[in-house]
Amino acid sequence: MLDRVISRDDLHALIDGLALQRRLIGPVVRKAPECRPPWRYFYQPVDRAEQLDLSFSYCVYSPKPFLFPPQETLFQFERVDGGFTARPQLADRPTALVGVHPCDLNAIQLLDHVFSAAPADRHYRARRDNTFIVGVDCARPCTDGVFCADLDSHEAHGGFDVMLYPLDGDAESAGTTPGRYGVVFGSRAGGEWVRYGRRGEVPTAADERTFDRYQRQKRTAFPHALKTPADELPQLLERSYDSLLWEATARRCYSCGSCNLVCPTCYCFDIKDQTTLGGDGGQRRRQWDGCQLRGFAQVAGGHNFRSRPAARLRHRIYRKAKWIRERTGLRGCVGCARCDRACTARINTVEIYNQLTEEV
Amino acid sequence: MKPKVAIFSLTGCEGCSLAILELEDRLLDILDAVEVVNFREGMTERTWDIDIGFVDGAVSTPQDETEVRHIREHCTTLVAIGACACLGGLNTLKNHQPEEDYRRYVYGDRAEWFPTITARPISSVVKVDYELPGCPMIKEEFLRFVTHALAGRTFTLPDHAVCVECKKRGNLCLYEKGEICLGPMTRAGCDAICPTYGSKCEACRGILNEDVLKAAGINLREQYNVELDDVLADLQLFGAYQAKALP
Amino acid sequence: MTVLEAASPPAHAGDSTYIPLAGMVRRVTKLTALEQLFEIRLPNGRPLGHSPGQFVQVSIMGVGECPISIASSPTRPDSFDLCVRRVGEVTGFIHRLRPGDTVGIRGPLGHGFDVDELHGRDVLIVAGGLGLAPARSVIQYILDERPRFGQFHLLYGAREPAELLFRDDLTRWRQSPDVNFHLTVDRADEQWRGHTGVVTTLFHRLPRLDPDNTMVAIIGPPIMFKFVVLEVLARRIPQKNVFCSLERRMKCGVGKCGHCQANNVYVCTEGPVFRYGQLKALREALE
Repeated sequence: MLDRVISRDDLHALIDGLALQRRLIGPVVRKAPECRPPWRYFYQPVDRAEQLDLSFSYCVYSPKPFLFPPQETLFQFERVDGGFTARPQLADRPTALVGVHPCDLNAIQLLDHVFSAAPADRHYRARRDNTFIVGVDCARPCTDGVFCADLDSHEAHGGFDVMLYPLDGDAESAGTTPGRYGVVFGSRAGGEWVRYGRRGEVPTAADERTFDRYQRQKRTAFPHALKTPADELPQLLERSYDSLLWEATARRCYSCGSCNLVCPTCYCFDIKDQTTLGGDGGQRRRQWDGCQLRGFAQVAGGHNFRSRPAARLRHRIYRKAKWIRERTGLRGCVGCARCDRACTARINTVEIYNQLTEEV
Repeated sequence: MKPKVAIFSLTGCEGCSLAILELEDRLLDILDAVEVVNFREGMTERTWDIDIGFVDGAVSTPQDETEVRHIREHCTTLVAIGACACLGGLNTLKNHQPEEDYRRYVYGDRAEWFPTITARPISSVVKVDYELPGCPMIKEEFLRFVTHALAGRTFTLPDHAVCVECKKRGNLCLYEKGEICLGPMTRAGCDAICPTYGSKCEACRGILNEDVLKAAGINLREQYNVELDDVLADLQLFGAYQAKALP
Repeated sequence: MTVLEAASPPAHAGDSTYIPLAGMVRRVTKLTALEQLFEIRLPNGRPLGHSPGQFVQVSIMGVGECPISIASSPTRPDSFDLCVRRVGEVTGFIHRLRPGDTVGIRGPLGHGFDVDELHGRDVLIVAGGLGLAPARSVIQYILDERPRFGQFHLLYGAREPAELLFRDDLTRWRQSPDVNFHLTVDRADEQWRGHTGVVTTLFHRLPRLDPDNTMVAIIGPPIMFKFVVLEVLARRIPQKNVFCSLERRMKCGVGKCGHCQANNVYVCTEGPVFRYGQLKALREALE
């Protein structure tokens, strides 16, 4: 059921309104000098709706950095009179993420869950609470190699204030910009944004029929890639702990951590201090870390609980398909395949699952 | 008491010593905290009572070898700065050529006036306490080293690949553009400056460990139809000495 | 979880999840060449409010944080003890602290021993090496609340005499009628008059254990854990009555950063104290 339908022009007017109050972030083609074709989409700050391309294929990176930045200061400290004072640094700049695909919305739901679990991470929460999210649905797979449909993350299940469904143009003919969107409200703020903006209309019966047709077409548009259904991956992995595949695959692994760093659901971090030259003041900062990096599970004194690349690769795959699912009931992997694209050794997660399926 | 610091140059462009001067405003803070007792690029008076000695340039001549031993004797802590001091650097290009040839085209008919030896990192001659690699040395890393030293903290280099910093910067991977970048094999700490500006990484901070070269041997042949030797040839720009020592 | 739960919120409940409280070092005692004991007092003498087996993140501003088990019982609430082995940079800086200095404290963190479950039971504690530090929080608790427990056996093994921790306590416990205490070292030196051998060789000194009524806590390096579990299970103690404390790299201490994860478990929140039944499913914990 749609809450509204809205024309492209009205949507742009609403987004421009949003940009007056918030930093606007959305998908844009980056044609900076360091890039050469093929052009790629990135989430970037923009000033106006018309700079966004809401019919983008996929963004190289997820919008995660805007909620959980690669590095941030947790607090500033000063050493005074043998003691210290500390001032927290919480980001509260109002932000709007416009044009988030279902895979990334599913990932944001996981981040929300992890950082909100007691004790809540106030640094994440501050950013998240000040972020307005407009999702946009994918009528078709954005590129080869994605397996979002296997994980049911080609559909949005929450994590948005407003969700947009491209109702004409996109579903039938690739590459054209939709003229109208179906709108679903995900939060009160989302509903108010559209209603108080006085844009869009109440959907007619014909609109609902169009939406039904859109959803039917979408169901057949997404191929499935996994030979073991996602619900059964935990059991598959349970049986595969001692498979030789981990060792064999990990021989190619550089332990460069690229898969972790591009993953929309990876949230591991490290905490380090930075000081002034004299050491009297400084910041305690956190930065992204990754379980594929060699030192990730190393303790002071040198012992490393996962010194072998194979153990680290297995750890990542188990987290994505088994442990996070078991612990949270949410998706640890959303099938966006960014890890697979980022891997210069071309280690491929679908291939791992399917090879394990054949082994058993 | 302020630590006594000295800066020396062996064979190289001395760009790393100059990088220290390029710290500009932050240099003044450093000069407040340390006493520079020996620095040819920046002063004329010199003494040999040294707590921390920084050395740039490779050992490439018999004089270099004598000089670095002398420096080692007079420094409590010896720090190699830049690709030449840490890896041999550009100087190692000559290691792949017949000595007759390179001496003739470098020094012409006076070649015999200039004795030369295989170019090598200073750690192959004396014990080095810390290395700050890169071509040039990363200024921020130098600052971090000094901050650690003043606080009595242990300085360590990043133990991960350039990819980590490249991804944190949100760059498009050069492999997606069909280039063979050495980022996955190279020690981070440069904030991925070359890939950020569209140039592939050439490993000026050295190969991370031997495991990455093993992985590269498989990946480059199987996935990219490139032989590891071709990539090692790429490495000759900075890391030939190191690459030879690896598997 | 326990009757000793703090009335005040934990020490990380500031505007940031990660800002520590300023603890004051009251006393520093050198225990061995590598270990020092720090007695810490929180602002206004407020109790840490921990349960035995929990840990705190100790921080030196400008250097960093590291997880340290609490080595004293919540029944002594004015201050708490931390036994710190110098193994890395942060612990090296902690070792430079002197009485009157300030140190950052975030916690108590993690899941400790559920002392309610121990009440009314016989208790066997087996500690190895630095494991005696967290064990001491339970030992003190039992000794302070002695009437609430049945028989109390304590076995402690160190690699060599020079590495024995808490020598004053050891003497006291040996003389105390409240605990059946045995001590061993793996390698004796010339002065050593006591038992020699790994800690499992002390088991024959124990009286018959009542399998249905004995709770066991094993605190030590993973290698010791495996052998001690065998001794314990051989005496028909049910797996659910066996607890163990794990060491991992803990960074955030609040179940988020991922460093301490062993298989599907976050050691910093679900541990460091686990039931053997939970633990045996964790392949990485036993490797």
